[in-house]
Amino acid sequence: MFVEENMSDSIITASSIHKTYDTGVVKVNALRGVDLTVGRGEMVAIMGPSGCGKTTMLNCLSGLDEIDSGQVVIDGVVLHDLPDDERSDYRARRMGFVFQLYNLLPVLSAVENVELPLLVSGTGPAESRRRSMELLDLVGLSERAQHLPGELSGGQRQRVTIARALVNQPSIVWADEPTGDLDSETAGEIMDLMCGLNADNGQSFVLVTHSADVGNRAHRIVRMRDGEIVDDGVNAVTIPQ
Amino acid sequence: MEELFGLSMDIIMVALLAVFLPVLAGVVLVAWRNPVMLKLALRNIPRRKSQTSLIVAGIMISTLIMAAAFGTGDSITYSIRKNAVEALGTIDQIIVSARASESDTIGSSNYFPYERFEQLKVELAGMDSIDGLAPGIGEFAPTINSRTSLSEGQMRVAGVDPNTLAGFGDFHLLSGQEVRLESLGPNDALINEEAAKELDAIPGDQLVAFISDSSVAFTVQGVVDSGGLAGQESTLLVRLDRAQEMFGREGMINSMAVSNLGGVFAGAELSDEVTGALRVIFTDRGIAGEIKTLLNRNEVLEQLDLLGPALGGGLTADLATFAAGLREASLTDEFIGVLADEDVQEEVLNAVSAAGLVDVERRAGTLLAGLAEFRVIDIKKQVLDQADQAGSGVTSIFIIMGLFSIMVGVLLIFLIFVMLAAARRSEMGMARAVGAKRRHLIQMFIFEGTAYSVVSGAIGVALGLGASFVIVFVVNRIFTAGGSGAPENFTMFAHFEIRSAVVAYCLGMVITLSTVGISAYRVSRLNIVAAVRGLPAPSQRSETPYRQHLLAPLRALVRPLLLAVTALRALASGDGGRAIGLVLMSFWAAVTVPFAFFGAVFQALWIPLGHGWLTVVAGALLTWVGTSSDEAAPLRIGVTLVIVGVGLSIRTAYHRTRLRPDVGDRIAYTFMGVVNLAFWVIPFGSLRAIFGDVEGGIEMFFISGIAMVAAAVWTVMYNADLLLKLLTTVTRPFGHLRPVLVTAVAYPMAAKFRTGLTLAMFALVIFTLIVMSILTEAFSAAVGDSDQVAGGWDIQAEVNPNTPIDDIRLAIDEKPGLDNKDFISIGGYTAFPVETRQVGASEQRWKFYAVRAADDQYLQETAANLKLIANGYGDTPEEVWEALRLDPNLVVVDSLVVPSREGFASDEIPFELEGVFYEDTEMEAIDIEVREPRTGQVIPLKVIGVMDRLTDAFGELGFGMIASRRGLDEAIPFRIPTTTYRFKAAEGTDIPALSKDLESAFRENGMETDVLSELVDDIAAANRAFNYLFTSFMGLGLLVGVTSLGVVSLRAVVERRQQIGVLRAIGYRRRMVQLSFLTESTFVVLMGIAIGVGLGTVISYNIVKDIQDDIETVRFAIPWLQIGIIIAIAYVFSLATTYMPARQASRIYPAEALRYE
Repeated sequence: MFVEENMSDSIITASSIHKTYDTGVVKVNALRGVDLTVGRGEMVAIMGPSGCGKTTMLNCLSGLDEIDSGQVVIDGVVLHDLPDDERSDYRARRMGFVFQLYNLLPVLSAVENVELPLLVSGTGPAESRRRSMELLDLVGLSERAQHLPGELSGGQRQRVTIARALVNQPSIVWADEPTGDLDSETAGEIMDLMCGLNADNGQSFVLVTHSADVGNRAHRIVRMRDGEIVDDGVNAVTIPQ
Repeated sequence: MEELFGLSMDIIMVALLAVFLPVLAGVVLVAWRNPVMLKLALRNIPRRKSQTSLIVAGIMISTLIMAAAFGTGDSITYSIRKNAVEALGTIDQIIVSARASESDTIGSSNYFPYERFEQLKVELAGMDSIDGLAPGIGEFAPTINSRTSLSEGQMRVAGVDPNTLAGFGDFHLLSGQEVRLESLGPNDALINEEAAKELDAIPGDQLVAFISDSSVAFTVQGVVDSGGLAGQESTLLVRLDRAQEMFGREGMINSMAVSNLGGVFAGAELSDEVTGALRVIFTDRGIAGEIKTLLNRNEVLEQLDLLGPALGGGLTADLATFAAGLREASLTDEFIGVLADEDVQEEVLNAVSAAGLVDVERRAGTLLAGLAEFRVIDIKKQVLDQADQAGSGVTSIFIIMGLFSIMVGVLLIFLIFVMLAAARRSEMGMARAVGAKRRHLIQMFIFEGTAYSVVSGAIGVALGLGASFVIVFVVNRIFTAGGSGAPENFTMFAHFEIRSAVVAYCLGMVITLSTVGISAYRVSRLNIVAAVRGLPAPSQRSETPYRQHLLAPLRALVRPLLLAVTALRALASGDGGRAIGLVLMSFWAAVTVPFAFFGAVFQALWIPLGHGWLTVVAGALLTWVGTSSDEAAPLRIGVTLVIVGVGLSIRTAYHRTRLRPDVGDRIAYTFMGVVNLAFWVIPFGSLRAIFGDVEGGIEMFFISGIAMVAAAVWTVMYNADLLLKLLTTVTRPFGHLRPVLVTAVAYPMAAKFRTGLTLAMFALVIFTLIVMSILTEAFSAAVGDSDQVAGGWDIQAEVNPNTPIDDIRLAIDEKPGLDNKDFISIGGYTAFPVETRQVGASEQRWKFYAVRAADDQYLQETAANLKLIANGYGDTPEEVWEALRLDPNLVVVDSLVVPSREGFASDEIPFELEGVFYEDTEMEAIDIEVREPRTGQVIPLKVIGVMDRLTDAFGELGFGMIASRRGLDEAIPFRIPTTTYRFKAAEGTDIPALSKDLESAFRENGMETDVLSELVDDIAAANRAFNYLFTSFMGLGLLVGVTSLGVVSLRAVVERRQQIGVLRAIGYRRRMVQLSFLTESTFVVLMGIAIGVGLGTVISYNIVKDIQDDIETVRFAIPWLQIGIIIAIAYVFSLATTYMPARQASRIYPAEALRYE
């Protein structure tokens, strides 16, 4: 069984994560001592009501945001001990991101968007272009490689985002509401794509979602409320029979 | 300053206020009625403080430039007036002998008996407008202070009658104490402040004045305030009888000063009346009667009737009075009054000439010369008028120079509001979605724009006036450095008129509000769905049927009437409130009918203009106007429009095929850009070959700059993708920089409109600076060539004509400190005014010019270059100078009296040769006649050469036709002393030291020496300094360009916040984000610099090549250092402005940015 086989080989270990936002007027305890472990190749969905701290947790675990206390270890590296530049390099080499609002650079074509992480991590231009085209082919968009994001549909843009997230063969893919802006059919296609990639490449996926349909496609669902994990359980739906 | 571009400043101010105040009132009224929109608009202002600051700065700089131009003009007007009034004091007119030359205001050697003053005093006794008449003697004598050994070669000795000071005020010592001339003994004198400074003299000092072969000693009794009878230049004031005795002119005077009723300024207002009355008194009625009889013929009267109305101003009325006087049976005072006016004489002779009556013109010219016994110089009025003209002239130059900066400022304001629109797009879309109308959005923008501009315009005016004070300071520094051609003792004072501040402010406001209005209109046409969802704006097509567009002008015309009728109906139905509202609307519609009508016409024409064919037609019409009027501006704009029209037609045709429209767009737009660019960079000579000679003023510099830069930016922006590909290839080796470069280039290229505007601003500024730098270099190099300018001489010395040197070589031998061996050669000449006319020319009047009667040594040794040599007089300048030496009837003239085909005219000398142009390659000898004004003797001479323009630095080192003095000595019955010497020093001699030795040895002769190379350097340095001043003024545009980059960068940080988050998420380091922003600015700045430098160099090359036809020594040279400095300043300041936003961008926390919407 996947969960049991891989739990011992964890890629993300977060312990006692605290995060407070201080606006000067009010203090919001976004995370209150969260502990979480994600196994290599595991697909974890973080769910919960709005404002429960899902996105904050994703941002803190991925190093996009600072934490007040606790520790995040990714593949043996204590992420928050790294200086900003090294953390940026680490993200470029080891992580991929998918966001709800696609977040493609509107001035670059699909293929240029996809190859950007490779260029950042120092891969040569020709190699970057080759691999980007492979990824676009993988997500079924090689025909649209030269199109600007504004010329693509919502689903196509999200596929480009996924291609960009995977192009540097990251160990972990972070996805914040990856289907939040899509209709159910397109959302289903996107989840098929991510689950397929997860199964084929063994990359870990951490998804933040409101959608039960998306959550049900994950190996594990972590439920949060008021900055705490209230439930962390294996998703029976996805356990291979 | 009373006028600008020929328009009265009062009219300009009223017109601007008439536009600005109602617009402002309208905005306030609408704001009061729409408080919600006002609130929405004003709340935006404090939201982003740095952005607001940059917007305010941008608007401020445009107003600043205009205010600086006006402030400088005012300062010049005020300074000339102040200097003039201080110099003249209560003197309003000066009366000198009619034989004195035009520029002679002291009478010089043209004396007349003292009794004439006494007679005149009796004649003027009943004239209330005169409160003072003072006879006097004015002469120059070298003077030495025995105590300090300091000398003044050109000390003005003024002899004043102590009994005639009524109306002129008393003399006051510097302490303020009154001093009376009566108390002066025969060997006592007063000196003015300047003389005290020059000689370092104090009361009790003994001054020695040298006159001819004798000297007179005076004891200084006091130092008096300068101005009025005490003079502005160094003056020694003695009693009239003593002066008469000193100069051997007992019972004679050479001038009379007149003071009008009223103070120093009010007196000038009576000048016309007094001058007219005096002229009537001085006119010989017999000669006036002869002239009346001579000219009272139909041909002359017809010409006068034709000419009069065309002249405008006071001359129209004067010529009408003259014509009426001619028709009268008897001789009237009115006729004599206008006849004695030299301007009227000039125009009357023009009319006679136009009537083809050559003999009558000749006779009239001779009669006019003897018409009056005295010349009345309305000196104060003349100087005050000159002050006004100089002020408006300088303002015009600064405004034209500043046009580029103002244009850049307008573009910046437009850019600012376009970007504000982009920033508010979503909220404006929401506002439209919930029911706001287009006009509400326009109002919102106009409220915000008005709020920014009302405040920043006022600050801009204040800073601009401050900048004009800085300009005044710099100009004073240039004057102090000398050699600039500024009159001695001239100081500029910083000053501005409230009227100018109002005009600058209103002009700034009108420009800003128009720009805001246009951008607001553009913004209001947003697509609601696209705006709300943040999608790209779809291309919009007008939904209005075209026939409605055609009817719109008619509707605009009848709208006020329809509203009035509706108001009447409302009144009839008892709805008074609605009726009042409709009446007000009808009134407003009536006031704005011209705007509405022309706006509707423009809208109706817009579609066929966009299709291209109408643009071609409009361009062809304009070209035709240009070729038929020989005006460059309509011709070149016309051809440009034809090219644009052809491009648009290509686009229209392409869009009707099934081919890809973007390819058609690229072809059409690239065609427009490239062909227009080629058209504007064609050398002027080639254009002349196509279109013939066309005239273009300084405005063509502005028009061509705008056109070239627009064409270049247009071409670059429509082919940006190719540039992007090129950059991608070029940056291939820089792997680690690639992601930075990719985004840095992609962003500006994606926002073509914004980038295009910024690029255009930058390119324009750099363009103007480059052109100024190259032209400054070209002219400095030309003027700074001292050998060319000074004809190979090393030292120039002027001696006082009252204390001449008989034989300079002999005199040098007698001076212990000097050695003749130090001088290879010494040449001399005497410059004196003459009247001249050309034999057989259409113009047969005597015109003032000057003769430089040169000795043999001068003619043998001068190396002055000649532009033209008459056929038959040799091929080299040496042969011509030798011919002059051998034949005293031959002369060589200055370039200033030869007209130019290029319209390069000098108004310094009234005489002008006919039948030869400066650009000609050959000439025939020209016969002229010269009349010595004192004796009336006429001497025939022959012009056999024309000097090069650079010789004597365009007349700054002296002017006048050069002739051998031997012939003139024989022809003129009195002795002509040599007044100017030029020395060539032996090799290895210390020239500056030799110059000082000469001055000190001959101080009793009033010798003042100059090292010519230093003088030429001074002139070149002063020219350069003025050019730098203009360059700095134009450099203000650079501030606008830099500000625009700051605005664009700040906006980019806000707009791309979320994308910055993504970049950081996928691994961009902070520095990479920062570098990306800086590279983006660099990319725009470097492209702007490349376009500006490239085009600036090309147009400068064309200009220099064109000027070379006139001035051969002007050389095209690129001042690399200066251009390097300009580029460095532009680049460093741009980066500095972008640095803060870039830093801000790099500090954005990824998680925070990703949350941002």
